[in-house]
Amino acid sequence: MNIGLLGQYVINGMMLGMMYALVAVGFSLFFGVLDVIQFSHGDVVTGGAFAGLAVYLGLRGVLHSSSLLLVLVLMGAVVAMALLGIAIARGLVLPLRSAPALNTLLLTLMAGTVLRESIRLFFPNGSQPQRFPPLLSERAIALGSLTLRVDNLLLLAAGATLIGGMHLFITRTRLGLAIRAVAQDEETARTSGIPFRKVVLLTFAIGSVLAAFAGVMNGLYYNEINFGMGLLLGVIGFSAAVLGGLGNIYGGILGGFLFAGLQTVGAVALPLASAYKDVFAFGVVILLMAWRPTGLIGERASERV
Amino acid sequence: MLLIARGARWCSLSALLIASLALPALAKDTVKIAFIGPLTGGNSALGIGGRNSADLAVRLRNADPKLRYRYELVMLDDECKPDTGVQVATKAAADRSIVAGVTHYCSVVAVATVDTYHKLGLPTVVWGAVLPDVTYGHKYPEIHRVNGTMINQNETAANFMFQQGYRTWAVIHDTTDYGKGHNKYFSENINKLGGKITSTFGVTADQQDFTAELTQIKSQKPQALYFGGLTPIGVRIRQQMDKLGLDAQFQGTSGILSDDFIRGLGTLAEGTLAFREGAPLEKLPGGKFFAEKYAEQKYGSAAEAYGPFAYAAANLLIDTIEKTGPDRGKVIAELATVKDKDSIVGKITFDDHGQNTVAIITKYVVQDGKWVPWEDSEYASGKRKLKGK
Amino acid sequence: MEPNRGFSNRLAALALVAIATAGAAALLWVESDRAILILLLGIAIVAFGAGRIGILASLMQKALQQRRTIGTGAFLGILLVGFVFREDHFSLFLIGRVLLITLACLGLHLEFGAAGVVNFASAAFFGVGGYTAAVLSARTGIPHLLVLVSGGCASALIGSLLLLPLLRTRGHYAALITIAFGLLFRTFVEVNDSLGGPQGLKLNGFKFLGLQFNDELAAGPIHASFYENYVLLASVLVAIAFVLVQRLESSWLGLALDAIRLDEVAAASFGFEVARWKILAFTLGNFLIGVAGALSAFMVGFLAPNNFTFPESLTLVSIVLLGGIGNAWGLAVAAFLVVLLPEKLQILQEYRYLLYAGLVILILRFRPAGLIPRPMRRYLGHSA
Repeated sequence: MNIGLLGQYVINGMMLGMMYALVAVGFSLFFGVLDVIQFSHGDVVTGGAFAGLAVYLGLRGVLHSSSLLLVLVLMGAVVAMALLGIAIARGLVLPLRSAPALNTLLLTLMAGTVLRESIRLFFPNGSQPQRFPPLLSERAIALGSLTLRVDNLLLLAAGATLIGGMHLFITRTRLGLAIRAVAQDEETARTSGIPFRKVVLLTFAIGSVLAAFAGVMNGLYYNEINFGMGLLLGVIGFSAAVLGGLGNIYGGILGGFLFAGLQTVGAVALPLASAYKDVFAFGVVILLMAWRPTGLIGERASERV
Repeated sequence: MLLIARGARWCSLSALLIASLALPALAKDTVKIAFIGPLTGGNSALGIGGRNSADLAVRLRNADPKLRYRYELVMLDDECKPDTGVQVATKAAADRSIVAGVTHYCSVVAVATVDTYHKLGLPTVVWGAVLPDVTYGHKYPEIHRVNGTMINQNETAANFMFQQGYRTWAVIHDTTDYGKGHNKYFSENINKLGGKITSTFGVTADQQDFTAELTQIKSQKPQALYFGGLTPIGVRIRQQMDKLGLDAQFQGTSGILSDDFIRGLGTLAEGTLAFREGAPLEKLPGGKFFAEKYAEQKYGSAAEAYGPFAYAAANLLIDTIEKTGPDRGKVIAELATVKDKDSIVGKITFDDHGQNTVAIITKYVVQDGKWVPWEDSEYASGKRKLKGK
Repeated sequence: MEPNRGFSNRLAALALVAIATAGAAALLWVESDRAILILLLGIAIVAFGAGRIGILASLMQKALQQRRTIGTGAFLGILLVGFVFREDHFSLFLIGRVLLITLACLGLHLEFGAAGVVNFASAAFFGVGGYTAAVLSARTGIPHLLVLVSGGCASALIGSLLLLPLLRTRGHYAALITIAFGLLFRTFVEVNDSLGGPQGLKLNGFKFLGLQFNDELAAGPIHASFYENYVLLASVLVAIAFVLVQRLESSWLGLALDAIRLDEVAAASFGFEVARWKILAFTLGNFLIGVAGALSAFMVGFLAPNNFTFPESLTLVSIVLLGGIGNAWGLAVAAFLVVLLPEKLQILQEYRYLLYAGLVILILRFRPAGLIPRPMRRYLGHSA
């Protein structure tokens, strides 16, 4: 296997890892703040992608500049999903905080199904794969046998910036401090005067923004989106978050890239058909869970007995 | 007294009810024919095209007062999934008011449902599935097919590509029997001619990411990439080929011969090759007639590649039921005797396995956003060039 | 207990069963969309009205005291419906499916409703049973009844592979494991050609004591569709499973499972061997699911990876939830509605996942106890 081929696989793996990481971080955020697993998160990714597509379809007759369209598509996706995230938090998750965790789990699973099916049924031709416009530059740089596409690099850079920005936000701003406080101990945070509800809604909004971004990224990378893409992404994102340790943002990032790495290794190195790569990756996840039930980095939460 | 009055009222009411039920019997009896195809999902364009064509046939015939019966088309969606197909087939075949069926575009589904139709005794005519096993894999008298099989399609494809100067191929096929069938027949023909297949990959019918396979193919530099599968993943593969800078000629089968393929790729579709049994619509015996009548109905979507076959199948069934009456057993017996029957796709003859022979294979190429028969294209005349040579 | 009380209870039980049977038969009978909507509306109005007046609650309370009467009554009711529709292929097919889904959900109910072990791979275990049946019946000469049992055992066995990670984790982690397994299973059978790949596998009919189940059932002048055979067998299996689950629930075992479900830590501190009971519930539950899957494969004659996807698992879970966690009767009613309505109302067919999910959300939000809430456990035998 020559360097070019290897390089190609690395780039592919990193793209996947970035997308998984964005979703995983969302899961960790939600869990950290509310001790809740929002299973509809994967479908929020799909929602973001479709919201972006809708913006594009609506505006493409009017505007012709790719970059402007891109910005508007992103904004549309982000705003729509932030609102959706807040709605889910307000309507479904917050009211059931005191109910057994199982109920919330089921509730969010069903909410995800509702979102997915709504897209399939109500988006025109929703059951078919939709073409996502190539809004990024299509140029490619050839380095020997390795083809680097400019848009891939842009997406990687954007994802990294987003995660970096999130890290800065969480650690350097007051709002980020509030989020961390609520994640650590709800009661103390409230008695310190932190507006609990607002912080929770904000967290959900942020997580959904990340998901929307991942959705648009997915669309730009594959030039195609379909209503079912969120299901697998959600499960993988959740697996990645768990792998790295729920509630731990850096664990989520680690888990995302780890899972992508597992998939790529499974597809390439194993003598089995590349179709087994998912089987391989999930099998490893289950094994890891058996060995280290609280994830590789460890969960940042304690349980009240 | 009151009781008698009540009793009298009930009697007259029921008499009226019975009379009203009997009245429709004076009009023509309605006979139901089922249409089954992928009405949702990635192949829905072809399914809806087939449905509209079958519907056209039924409408046109219903307008004829000389017919013994009035026909109703019961439309069912198999989603191009074998499990849904079997469920829907059970529903249709178990319903005794449905006399016959125009069935299936997706070979995966057609192959899965043959047992159901046989078990429940429903005569069917396949309109779009090309896997040979659908008719040749068993000896059920219920199953027939008006369109051709993939054997001839791949033979012609191999010969054509060879003539054009291609010698090396990479093969990607889906892991259903459909994709595997295409792979089998195409590889056989290429090997016979002396060409070389550099690598073969089986992928799932809903796979998203092909970068692993395409990266490996790119390192082997084949001249052409043969794709044995349907439109949804065809679109993805062609797109990702471009992203990876894989510059080979994309060659597909009848599975990608749909407008959705072109819509999904935009300008990337230009120059793609595909093959199909049957002459192009304009050259079919009833082609112009079909095109005119189809346009009149303003269906909102095209008849697509297999619409004419669905139309022919529906008409064949109507003719048969007119002759034998709405009796499944008699329909099955009559269908076995079909020989040189005229239809818009040419003469239909069912062999001992219920298979119609379609001799002509048409080659298509995408030119300016449309599927154009090879001979009429600018590629044939040399004005445009195919890739990879 | 005064004989009068027992008699009126029995009457209430029989009345309920009769109403349910009549309702079921009516729903199966009607064909046109309009008729079904009218019928459903009628049933809803009657149920709502009865609920308001309080008749429903008191009837149910009386009836539930006579478990045996309800059980035998329901069994006879199923046989009656099966007889009435004996010539109608599709209705019998639906009845068969309802029975087998009920069987699978009973298994799920053991895991979920009793022990609180979350299983989002129920469709996968259903599939394990089905594939085992397909492979064994095609490649070996094992008598088919044993094949059914093997299907159950295979499910239980594969389930036990998940037990190690499942026992070490809790709540959402456990959920992740089962979800991952479900996806893993589906991908595995899809890419694995020896199990038919995406094309799936076909099965010949079930054979029992020389009787070919795929042949028409005929006894003198009475002819029945071949699906009747499956309906009869499925009814017997469901009856056995029902009795089993009821017995389990009213025993010490059931008490242990309840305690574990409600509060694991408290149960452990009271001396319950949490792990052991969880293992039992999970294995037994999967066994039932596997048997249901095996017989279902025989009845349909075909199975493909697409039958066992995550939305299908969610549907089974929805049935248990809609029926009320811990309530076996509610489960049966929910299973009937969930399987039947999309088939009868074509509009529903497309929207069915959306509908189930929406209903579950509403129930979880506003009525977490389910449609027919589970009665409190009685410790001192039949009380007033």
